[in-house]
Amino acid sequence: MKMAIKMKLLNKVLCAFLFIALPGLILLSPLVSAQVNITKNARVDTGNAGLAVRVAPGEVLPISVKLSNFGGGKRVDVLLKYSIFTSTGEEIYTTSDTAAVETTASFVKTVQIPFGTAPGVYTAKTSATYQGQLAPTTTQFSFTVERKILGIFQSDFFFYGGISVLAGIFIALLVYFLVRRRRTTRFTPLDYSNIPHDKRTFYEILSDTIMQMRGRVGEQALEIASHIDGLKIDKETGRVLDLTEPPAKIIATLVSEYEKLLGKKVSFSFRGNT
Amino acid sequence: METQKTILIVEDEKNLREAIADILRLKNYLPLEAENGKVGVEMALSKHPDLILLDLLMPVMDGMAALKKIRADAWGAKVPVIILTNLSATNEQLVEDMVTHKPMHYLIKSDWKLHDVVAKIEDILKA
Repeated sequence: MKMAIKMKLLNKVLCAFLFIALPGLILLSPLVSAQVNITKNARVDTGNAGLAVRVAPGEVLPISVKLSNFGGGKRVDVLLKYSIFTSTGEEIYTTSDTAAVETTASFVKTVQIPFGTAPGVYTAKTSATYQGQLAPTTTQFSFTVERKILGIFQSDFFFYGGISVLAGIFIALLVYFLVRRRRTTRFTPLDYSNIPHDKRTFYEILSDTIMQMRGRVGEQALEIASHIDGLKIDKETGRVLDLTEPPAKIIATLVSEYEKLLGKKVSFSFRGNT
Repeated sequence: METQKTILIVEDEKNLREAIADILRLKNYLPLEAENGKVGVEMALSKHPDLILLDLLMPVMDGMAALKKIRADAWGAKVPVIILTNLSATNEQLVEDMVTHKPMHYLIKSDWKLHDVVAKIEDILKA
Protein backbone atom coordinates (compact mmCIF):
# COMPACT_ATOMS: atom_id res chain seq x y z
CA MET A 1 0.00 0.00 0.00
CA LYS A 2 2.85 2.37 0.91
CA MET A 3 4.54 1.37 -2.33
CA ALA A 4 1.40 2.28 -4.30
CA ILE A 5 1.23 5.69 -2.63
CA LYS A 6 4.90 6.28 -3.42
CA MET A 7 4.37 5.33 -7.04
CA LYS A 8 1.39 7.69 -7.29
CA LEU A 9 3.51 10.50 -5.92
CA LEU A 10 6.24 9.63 -8.40
CA ASN A 11 3.69 9.67 -11.20
CA LYS A 12 2.53 13.11 -10.18
CA VAL A 13 6.10 14.37 -10.14
CA LEU A 14 6.74 12.92 -13.59
CA CYS A 15 3.53 14.35 -14.95
CA ALA A 16 4.44 17.72 -13.50
CA PHE A 17 7.83 17.45 -15.24
CA LEU A 18 6.13 16.68 -18.53
CA PHE A 19 3.72 19.60 -18.13
CA ILE A 20 6.49 21.98 -17.34
CA ALA A 21 9.32 20.78 -19.58
CA LEU A 22 7.69 19.68 -22.79
CA PRO A 23 5.66 22.76 -23.64
CA GLY A 24 9.02 24.46 -23.83
CA LEU A 25 10.01 22.04 -26.55
CA ILE A 26 6.74 22.08 -28.45
CA LEU A 27 5.85 25.72 -28.68
CA LEU A 28 2.30 26.52 -27.60
CA SER A 29 1.39 22.90 -27.84
CA PRO A 30 -0.86 21.55 -25.19
CA LEU A 31 0.26 18.58 -23.24
CA VAL A 32 -2.19 16.36 -21.54
CA SER A 33 -1.51 13.40 -19.35
CA ALA A 34 -3.21 10.04 -19.46
CA GLN A 35 -2.38 7.73 -16.59
CA VAL A 36 -3.25 4.07 -16.57
CA ASN A 37 -2.41 1.76 -13.66
CA ILE A 38 -2.29 -1.89 -14.55
CA THR A 39 -2.55 -4.39 -11.69
CA LYS A 40 -2.15 -8.08 -11.54
CA ASN A 41 -5.82 -8.54 -10.71
CA ALA A 42 -6.69 -6.06 -13.42
CA ARG A 43 -7.73 -3.26 -11.14
CA VAL A 44 -7.46 -0.19 -13.25
CA ASP A 45 -7.14 3.47 -12.35
CA THR A 46 -7.03 6.27 -14.89
CA GLY A 47 -6.59 10.00 -14.74
CA ASN A 48 -5.76 12.98 -16.82
CA ALA A 49 -4.58 16.44 -16.12
CA GLY A 50 -7.75 18.01 -17.48
CA LEU A 51 -6.05 20.98 -19.04
CA ALA A 52 -8.04 23.35 -21.22
CA VAL A 53 -5.93 23.41 -24.35
CA ARG A 54 -6.03 24.92 -27.81
CA VAL A 55 -4.64 23.70 -31.08
CA ALA A 56 -5.00 24.85 -34.64
CA PRO A 57 -6.11 22.58 -37.48
CA GLY A 58 -3.05 20.71 -38.78
CA GLU A 59 -1.14 21.08 -35.51
CA VAL A 60 -0.26 18.22 -33.24
CA LEU A 61 -1.91 17.58 -29.92
CA PRO A 62 0.65 16.01 -27.56
CA ILE A 63 -0.76 13.50 -25.10
CA SER A 64 1.47 12.47 -22.26
CA VAL A 65 0.90 8.82 -21.43
CA LYS A 66 2.14 7.12 -18.30
CA LEU A 67 1.47 3.46 -17.71
CA SER A 68 2.13 1.79 -14.38
CA ASN A 69 2.07 -1.95 -13.82
CA PHE A 70 1.87 -3.07 -10.25
CA GLY A 71 1.84 -6.71 -11.25
CA GLY A 72 5.22 -7.58 -9.81
CA GLY A 73 7.31 -7.13 -12.90
CA LYS A 74 5.20 -9.27 -15.15
CA ARG A 75 5.15 -7.80 -18.64
CA VAL A 76 1.76 -6.67 -19.91
CA ASP A 77 1.02 -5.77 -23.54
CA VAL A 78 -1.34 -2.83 -23.74
CA LEU A 79 -3.24 -1.65 -26.77
CA LEU A 80 -3.76 2.12 -26.60
CA LYS A 81 -6.41 3.78 -28.73
CA TYR A 82 -6.47 7.54 -29.21
CA SER A 83 -9.63 9.12 -30.60
CA ILE A 84 -10.91 12.62 -31.12
CA PHE A 85 -14.59 13.41 -30.91
CA THR A 86 -16.62 16.45 -31.75
CA SER A 87 -18.88 18.01 -29.16
CA THR A 88 -21.74 16.02 -30.70
CA GLY A 89 -19.87 12.75 -30.21
CA GLU A 90 -18.78 12.23 -33.80
CA GLU A 91 -15.36 10.60 -34.08
CA ILE A 92 -13.15 12.55 -36.47
CA TYR A 93 -9.83 10.85 -35.85
CA THR A 94 -8.57 7.61 -34.39
CA THR A 95 -5.25 5.82 -34.15
CA SER A 96 -3.79 3.09 -31.97
CA ASP A 97 -0.47 1.97 -30.52
CA THR A 98 0.80 -0.89 -28.47
CA ALA A 99 3.06 -0.68 -25.48
CA ALA A 100 4.68 -3.34 -23.31
CA VAL A 101 4.76 -2.43 -19.64
CA GLU A 102 6.73 -4.24 -16.96
CA THR A 103 6.76 -1.58 -14.27
CA THR A 104 6.12 1.89 -15.74
CA ALA A 105 6.20 3.39 -19.21
CA SER A 106 6.02 7.05 -20.10
CA PHE A 107 5.85 8.63 -23.49
CA VAL A 108 4.26 11.45 -25.40
CA LYS A 109 1.89 10.56 -28.17
CA THR A 110 1.26 13.24 -30.72
CA VAL A 111 -2.01 13.31 -32.56
CA GLN A 112 -2.28 15.56 -35.59
CA ILE A 113 -5.53 17.44 -35.76
CA PRO A 114 -6.87 17.13 -39.34
CA PHE A 115 -6.40 20.30 -41.42
CA GLY A 116 -10.10 20.63 -42.21
CA THR A 117 -11.21 20.46 -38.59
CA ALA A 118 -13.81 23.12 -37.84
CA PRO A 119 -13.17 25.40 -34.89
CA GLY A 120 -14.85 24.24 -31.71
CA VAL A 121 -14.53 22.11 -28.59
CA TYR A 122 -13.38 18.50 -29.00
CA THR A 123 -12.68 15.60 -26.75
CA ALA A 124 -9.54 13.47 -26.90
CA LYS A 125 -10.09 9.99 -25.52
CA THR A 126 -7.33 7.52 -24.68
CA SER A 127 -8.32 3.96 -23.88
CA ALA A 128 -6.14 1.06 -22.83
CA THR A 129 -6.91 -2.60 -23.46
CA TYR A 130 -4.87 -5.48 -22.14
CA GLN A 131 -5.24 -9.12 -21.38
CA GLY A 132 -7.16 -9.90 -18.28
CA GLN A 133 -8.74 -6.48 -18.11
CA LEU A 134 -11.77 -6.33 -15.89
CA ALA A 135 -13.08 -2.87 -16.66
CA PRO A 136 -12.63 -0.44 -19.53
CA THR A 137 -9.75 1.98 -19.00
CA THR A 138 -10.41 5.32 -20.58
CA THR A 139 -9.21 8.79 -19.94
CA GLN A 140 -10.36 11.90 -21.77
CA PHE A 141 -10.01 15.62 -21.83
CA SER A 142 -11.44 18.50 -23.78
CA PHE A 143 -9.52 20.82 -25.99
CA THR A 144 -10.37 23.60 -28.39
CA VAL A 145 -9.56 23.79 -32.06
CA GLU A 146 -9.05 27.34 -33.22
CA ARG A 147 -7.61 28.76 -36.41
CA LYS A 148 -4.43 30.81 -36.39
CA ILE A 149 -3.64 34.09 -38.10
CA LEU A 150 0.05 34.77 -38.69
CA GLY A 151 0.88 32.01 -36.22
CA ILE A 152 -1.35 33.42 -33.48
CA PHE A 153 -4.65 31.97 -32.39
CA GLN A 154 -7.52 33.89 -33.94
CA SER A 155 -8.98 35.07 -30.62
CA ASP A 156 -5.54 36.10 -29.36
CA PHE A 157 -4.82 37.80 -32.67
CA PHE A 158 -7.94 39.94 -32.43
CA PHE A 159 -7.52 40.53 -28.71
CA TYR A 160 -3.86 41.51 -28.78
CA GLY A 161 -4.25 43.08 -32.22
CA GLY A 162 -7.05 45.26 -30.84
CA ILE A 163 -4.97 46.20 -27.82
CA SER A 164 -2.01 46.97 -30.10
CA VAL A 165 -4.14 49.14 -32.39
CA LEU A 166 -5.63 51.01 -29.42
CA ALA A 167 -2.18 51.42 -27.87
CA GLY A 168 -0.83 52.59 -31.23
CA ILE A 169 -3.62 55.14 -31.61
CA PHE A 170 -3.09 56.30 -28.04
CA ILE A 171 0.67 56.68 -28.54
CA ALA A 172 0.19 58.42 -31.90
CA LEU A 173 -2.28 60.88 -30.34
CA LEU A 174 0.01 61.44 -27.38
CA VAL A 175 3.00 62.10 -29.65
CA TYR A 176 0.88 64.36 -31.86
CA PHE A 177 -0.32 66.46 -28.92
CA LEU A 178 3.13 66.60 -27.31
CA VAL A 179 4.76 67.65 -30.59
CA ARG A 180 2.00 70.17 -31.22
CA ARG A 181 2.27 71.55 -27.71
CA ARG A 182 6.05 71.78 -27.98
CA ARG A 183 5.80 73.41 -31.39
CA THR A 184 3.12 75.79 -30.17
CA THR A 185 5.22 76.68 -27.15
CA ARG A 186 8.40 77.08 -29.20
CA PHE A 187 6.87 78.95 -32.08
CA THR A 188 4.49 81.25 -30.32
CA PRO A 189 5.87 84.78 -30.62
CA LEU A 190 7.22 85.93 -27.29
CA ASP A 191 5.67 88.97 -25.70
CA TYR A 192 7.80 92.08 -25.22
CA SER A 193 5.14 94.52 -24.06
CA ASN A 194 7.33 95.31 -21.04
CA ILE A 195 10.04 96.73 -23.31
CA PRO A 196 9.91 100.50 -24.03
CA HIS A 197 8.15 101.21 -27.31
CA ASP A 198 11.20 102.66 -29.08
CA LYS A 199 13.15 99.43 -28.55
CA ARG A 200 10.33 96.90 -28.68
CA THR A 201 10.34 96.44 -32.46
CA PHE A 202 14.03 95.48 -32.36
CA TYR A 203 13.38 92.94 -29.62
CA GLU A 204 10.46 91.51 -31.59
CA ILE A 205 12.45 91.26 -34.85
CA LEU A 206 15.34 89.54 -33.07
CA SER A 207 13.07 87.19 -31.16
CA ASP A 208 11.02 86.27 -34.24
CA THR A 209 14.16 85.80 -36.32
CA ILE A 210 15.69 83.43 -33.74
CA MET A 211 12.38 81.54 -33.49
CA GLN A 212 12.10 81.30 -37.27
CA MET A 213 15.64 79.98 -37.64
CA ARG A 214 15.12 77.58 -34.74
CA GLY A 215 12.20 76.15 -36.65
CA ARG A 216 14.35 75.80 -39.77
CA VAL A 217 17.65 74.50 -38.38
CA GLY A 218 17.00 73.60 -34.74
CA GLU A 219 18.93 74.48 -31.60
CA GLN A 220 21.92 75.68 -33.62
CA ALA A 221 19.98 78.90 -34.17
CA LEU A 222 20.01 79.57 -30.42
CA GLU A 223 23.69 78.72 -30.19
CA ILE A 224 24.58 81.20 -32.93
CA ALA A 225 22.36 83.92 -31.45
CA SER A 226 23.90 83.46 -28.00
CA HIS A 227 27.32 84.37 -29.43
CA ILE A 228 26.26 87.64 -31.04
CA ASP A 229 27.93 90.61 -29.34
CA GLY A 230 25.47 92.75 -27.42
CA LEU A 231 22.66 90.18 -27.57
CA LYS A 232 21.61 88.38 -24.40
CA ILE A 233 19.09 85.59 -24.83
CA ASP A 234 17.58 82.81 -22.78
CA LYS A 235 19.24 79.71 -24.21
CA GLU A 236 16.15 77.58 -23.52
CA THR A 237 13.41 79.73 -24.94
CA GLY A 238 15.27 82.12 -27.22
CA ARG A 239 13.75 85.10 -25.41
CA VAL A 240 15.74 88.27 -25.91
CA LEU A 241 16.81 89.45 -22.45
CA ASP A 242 18.91 92.48 -23.18
CA LEU A 243 20.57 94.46 -25.97
CA THR A 244 23.82 96.17 -25.06
CA GLU A 245 24.87 97.25 -28.58
CA PRO A 246 22.88 99.30 -31.12
CA PRO A 247 19.83 97.10 -31.89
CA ALA A 248 20.01 97.58 -35.67
CA LYS A 249 23.63 96.46 -35.62
CA ILE A 250 22.71 93.36 -33.60
CA ILE A 251 19.95 92.43 -36.06
CA ALA A 252 22.27 92.96 -39.04
CA THR A 253 24.99 90.82 -37.38
CA LEU A 254 22.55 88.05 -36.48
CA VAL A 255 21.10 87.93 -40.01
CA SER A 256 24.64 87.96 -41.40
CA GLU A 257 25.76 85.10 -39.12
CA TYR A 258 22.75 82.98 -40.01
CA GLU A 259 23.46 83.53 -43.68
CA LYS A 260 27.17 82.79 -43.29
CA LEU A 261 26.97 79.80 -40.93
CA LEU A 262 23.71 78.22 -41.99
CA GLY A 263 23.39 79.35 -45.58
CA LYS A 264 19.89 80.64 -44.83
CA LYS A 265 18.53 84.06 -45.64
CA VAL A 266 16.14 85.71 -43.23
CA SER A 267 12.75 87.18 -43.99
CA PHE A 268 10.70 88.85 -41.29
CA SER A 269 7.43 90.47 -40.55
CA PHE A 270 6.60 93.31 -38.26
CA ARG A 271 4.38 92.55 -35.29
CA GLY A 272 0.88 93.86 -35.37
CA ASN A 273 0.88 93.24 -39.10
CA THR A 274 -0.56 90.19 -40.77
CA MET B 1 -20.34 95.10 -55.26
CA GLU B 2 -16.82 95.06 -53.84
CA THR B 3 -14.39 97.46 -55.50
CA GLN B 4 -11.33 95.96 -57.12
CA LYS B 5 -8.24 96.35 -54.94
CA THR B 6 -5.23 97.98 -56.54
CA ILE B 7 -1.71 96.73 -55.99
CA LEU B 8 1.38 98.60 -57.10
CA ILE B 9 4.32 96.40 -58.08
CA VAL B 10 7.60 98.29 -58.00
CA GLU B 11 10.12 95.91 -59.53
CA ASP B 12 12.84 96.40 -62.13
CA GLU B 13 12.88 92.75 -63.26
CA LYS B 14 10.26 92.79 -66.00
CA ASN B 15 9.60 89.04 -66.02
CA LEU B 16 9.05 88.90 -62.28
CA ARG B 17 6.92 92.05 -62.31
CA GLU B 18 4.69 90.68 -65.06
CA ALA B 19 4.43 87.25 -63.44
CA ILE B 20 3.22 88.81 -60.19
CA ALA B 21 0.81 91.04 -62.11
CA ASP B 22 -0.62 88.02 -63.94
CA ILE B 23 -1.25 86.14 -60.72
CA LEU B 24 -2.86 89.20 -59.15
CA ARG B 25 -5.14 89.64 -62.18
CA LEU B 26 -6.19 86.01 -61.82
CA LYS B 27 -7.04 86.77 -58.20
CA ASN B 28 -9.19 89.67 -59.38
CA TYR B 29 -6.85 92.42 -58.22
CA LEU B 30 -5.85 95.39 -60.36
CA PRO B 31 -2.04 95.45 -60.65
CA LEU B 32 -0.11 98.63 -61.40
CA GLU B 33 3.47 98.26 -62.57
CA ALA B 34 6.48 100.49 -61.99
CA GLU B 35 9.98 99.66 -63.22
CA ASN B 36 11.92 101.68 -60.63
CA GLY B 37 11.51 103.58 -57.36
CA LYS B 38 10.96 106.97 -58.95
CA VAL B 39 8.09 105.77 -61.13
CA GLY B 40 6.82 103.80 -58.17
CA VAL B 41 6.62 106.86 -55.92
CA GLU B 42 4.82 108.86 -58.61
CA MET B 43 2.29 106.11 -59.21
CA ALA B 44 1.82 105.49 -55.50
CA LEU B 45 1.13 109.12 -54.68
CA SER B 46 -1.17 109.62 -57.67
CA LYS B 47 -3.07 106.31 -57.74
CA HIS B 48 -3.15 105.53 -54.00
CA PRO B 49 -2.99 101.76 -54.37
CA ASP B 50 -4.26 99.50 -51.57
CA LEU B 51 -0.87 97.85 -51.20
CA ILE B 52 2.66 98.30 -52.53
CA LEU B 53 5.02 95.46 -53.37
CA LEU B 54 8.48 96.98 -53.38
CA ASP B 55 11.88 95.76 -54.53
CA LEU B 56 14.95 97.33 -52.89
CA LEU B 57 17.70 97.15 -55.49
CA MET B 58 16.51 99.12 -58.50
CA PRO B 59 17.96 101.67 -60.92
CA VAL B 60 17.13 105.40 -60.79
CA MET B 61 15.76 105.21 -57.24
CA ASP B 62 16.15 102.26 -54.87
CA GLY B 63 13.30 100.83 -52.87
CA MET B 64 14.26 102.25 -49.47
CA ALA B 65 14.49 105.79 -50.89
CA ALA B 66 11.09 105.26 -52.51
CA LEU B 67 9.63 103.97 -49.24
CA LYS B 68 10.90 107.06 -47.37
CA LYS B 69 9.20 109.36 -49.89
CA ILE B 70 5.97 107.39 -49.75
CA ARG B 71 5.98 107.37 -45.91
CA ALA B 72 6.54 111.12 -45.91
CA ASP B 73 3.11 111.55 -47.52
CA ALA B 74 0.02 111.61 -45.30
CA TRP B 75 -1.67 108.86 -47.29
CA GLY B 76 1.61 106.94 -47.78
CA ALA B 77 2.36 106.86 -44.06
CA LYS B 78 -0.25 104.16 -43.60
CA VAL B 79 -0.26 102.23 -46.86
CA PRO B 80 0.78 98.60 -46.39
CA VAL B 81 4.12 97.81 -48.03
CA ILE B 82 5.73 94.46 -48.63
CA ILE B 83 9.42 94.46 -49.44
CA LEU B 84 10.39 91.68 -51.83
CA THR B 85 14.11 91.66 -52.37
CA ASN B 86 17.27 89.63 -52.78
CA LEU B 87 19.05 91.89 -50.35
CA SER B 88 19.58 90.39 -46.89
CA ALA B 89 19.17 92.71 -43.94
CA THR B 90 22.84 92.52 -43.04
CA ASN B 91 23.36 96.27 -43.11
CA GLU B 92 22.79 98.25 -39.92
CA GLN B 93 21.42 101.28 -41.75
CA LEU B 94 19.01 99.13 -43.76
CA VAL B 95 17.68 97.58 -40.54
CA GLU B 96 17.37 101.00 -38.95
CA ASP B 97 15.43 102.30 -41.98
CA MET B 98 13.17 99.29 -41.99
CA VAL B 99 12.27 99.69 -38.34
CA THR B 100 11.64 103.39 -38.92
CA HIS B 101 9.51 103.03 -42.04
CA LYS B 102 7.90 99.71 -41.13
CA PRO B 103 6.96 97.64 -44.13
CA MET B 104 4.52 94.84 -43.26
CA HIS B 105 6.94 92.14 -44.38
CA TYR B 106 10.54 91.93 -45.47
CA LEU B 107 10.65 88.92 -47.77
CA ILE B 108 13.71 87.40 -49.41
CA LYS B 109 12.80 86.50 -53.00
CA SER B 110 14.69 83.21 -53.05
CA ASP B 111 12.78 81.94 -50.00
CA TRP B 112 9.31 82.73 -51.28
CA LYS B 113 7.14 81.33 -54.05
CA LEU B 114 5.06 83.86 -55.91
CA HIS B 115 1.83 82.24 -54.77
CA ASP B 116 2.93 82.58 -51.15
CA VAL B 117 3.70 86.25 -51.69
CA VAL B 118 0.26 86.70 -53.21
CA ALA B 119 -1.21 84.85 -50.21
CA LYS B 120 0.48 87.42 -47.93
CA ILE B 121 -1.03 90.21 -50.04
CA GLU B 122 -4.48 88.63 -49.76
CA ASP B 123 -4.11 88.26 -45.99
CA ILE B 124 -3.27 91.94 -45.61
CA LEU B 125 -6.08 93.14 -47.84
CA LYS B 126 -8.67 90.89 -46.18
CA ALA B 127 -7.74 92.13 -42.70
